[in-house]
Amino acid sequence: MCEQHSWLRHSDYYVPDGETPGLPGPVPTAEELRRGYWRWLRKAPAMPLILFITFWRKLISPLYGQVCSFYPSCSAYGLEAVTVHGLLRGSALTTWRILRCNPWTGGGIDHVPVSRRIWPGHVVPRIIETNHPPMDK
Amino acid sequence: MAFLDAIMWPFSWAVSFILSTFHSVLTFLGLDTDSGWNWTVSIILLVLVVRVILIPLFVRQIKSQRGMQIVQPELQKLQAKYKGKKDPVSRQQMVAEQQALFKKHKVNPFMTCLPILAQMPIFFALFWMLNRIGRTDGGYQVDGYYALSPEEVIGFSSSDIFGVGMSDIFLLGFNAEPTMWNVVILTSVMIVAMVATQFFTQKQLMSKNMSEAALTGQFAQTQKMMLYVLPLVFVIGGVNFPVGVLIYWTATNFWTMGQQWWVIRNNPTPGSLAEKELNLRRAAKGLPPVGEEARKAREEAEKPKGQHLGREAQPNRKKKKKKKGQR
Repeated sequence: MCEQHSWLRHSDYYVPDGETPGLPGPVPTAEELRRGYWRWLRKAPAMPLILFITFWRKLISPLYGQVCSFYPSCSAYGLEAVTVHGLLRGSALTTWRILRCNPWTGGGIDHVPVSRRIWPGHVVPRIIETNHPPMDK
Repeated sequence: MAFLDAIMWPFSWAVSFILSTFHSVLTFLGLDTDSGWNWTVSIILLVLVVRVILIPLFVRQIKSQRGMQIVQPELQKLQAKYKGKKDPVSRQQMVAEQQALFKKHKVNPFMTCLPILAQMPIFFALFWMLNRIGRTDGGYQVDGYYALSPEEVIGFSSSDIFGVGMSDIFLLGFNAEPTMWNVVILTSVMIVAMVATQFFTQKQLMSKNMSEAALTGQFAQTQKMMLYVLPLVFVIGGVNFPVGVLIYWTATNFWTMGQQWWVIRNNPTPGSLAEKELNLRRAAKGLPPVGEEARKAREEAEKPKGQHLGREAQPNRKKKKKKKGQR
């Protein structure tokens, strides 16, 4: 395990403004890896939904431009939620967000709640990096 | 239904309790127990109680609406600033700035629809009550309905005004054989009254109580939509709701109209036509104009209505920032 530093947690992307998101934290324990590293079998149930949202973002979102008053936009939020929280919790979070996306909430910065997921550095889903860009202070 | 009943329990209980109390008082004052007018007046008194309770909410709604009007031009500037920038960083910055703007002007967009939402449970409680007390199979005529005694349930469901029962519905009356014309006419009159009051209220708000800046842009668009969508809601709802609910709805609309009229007359939005009229009236009485200072401040700082909304917060913050910068 000489690549120990390349493990990235979802929480590594939640940093204060001015700091760089996506830097590896302490070396994960075996327990953390067991719970947080999802291989393809555990990821499989969410896959159809992930594909659907990706498809939606590629083809349908560009048709109407940016209309969401939140950051990340609803589709970006949904994709990240399903990717990091799985099918059930991810769908619930996404539904709740879409319900909140109306003229009376005013929008705002609203990130997906942190999950326990952990990835080897080179396979972190791209949506997470997109949704958590490095911000100036 | 049982689940919804559990949620609605406090509202059902409160509505039936208030109605029962007013009905007893009116009976004591000499109105006929089984008369529909007794129950009609009780419903109107229920509206008074509910609307008086909701006044603080309405005040907050007005404040929020005015904040929204102030924010609108700045929001447009912000949108222009970030136009065409699609990278995540600028998007996030834009949303953050927008949020800061709302916070600074103490705007909560949710507040603008809260008074309507807050009335919903009471409305549903009344709707359910009227739908149920008329039925003989529900057991309500034996056990009573929440705070209503069995006698009151029977009296309520069999009472009528102009021969129209409290639980009668336009569509059922219209489709009945033969057509119950008294139901159709009474409900139609009430639907027309609701649409007219709503239309008048909204029209008055838009023509008199919006500042020039707010009359353009998205906010005005939303208001315009309300002008035509709400009457539609009233018509669609009106033909499906029992007479008792229509009485509530009509009365609450009249209250809204009066409340709006009072607010526009005595506390108009700064920079609106209504404010000019108020100042003319005050000038005729020899009183100093209102909102004039705010106007001067706006010319200096390009911040409309600074005086009204942010009296405590805004000027202080500005000074602090300047001082920090100078040092």
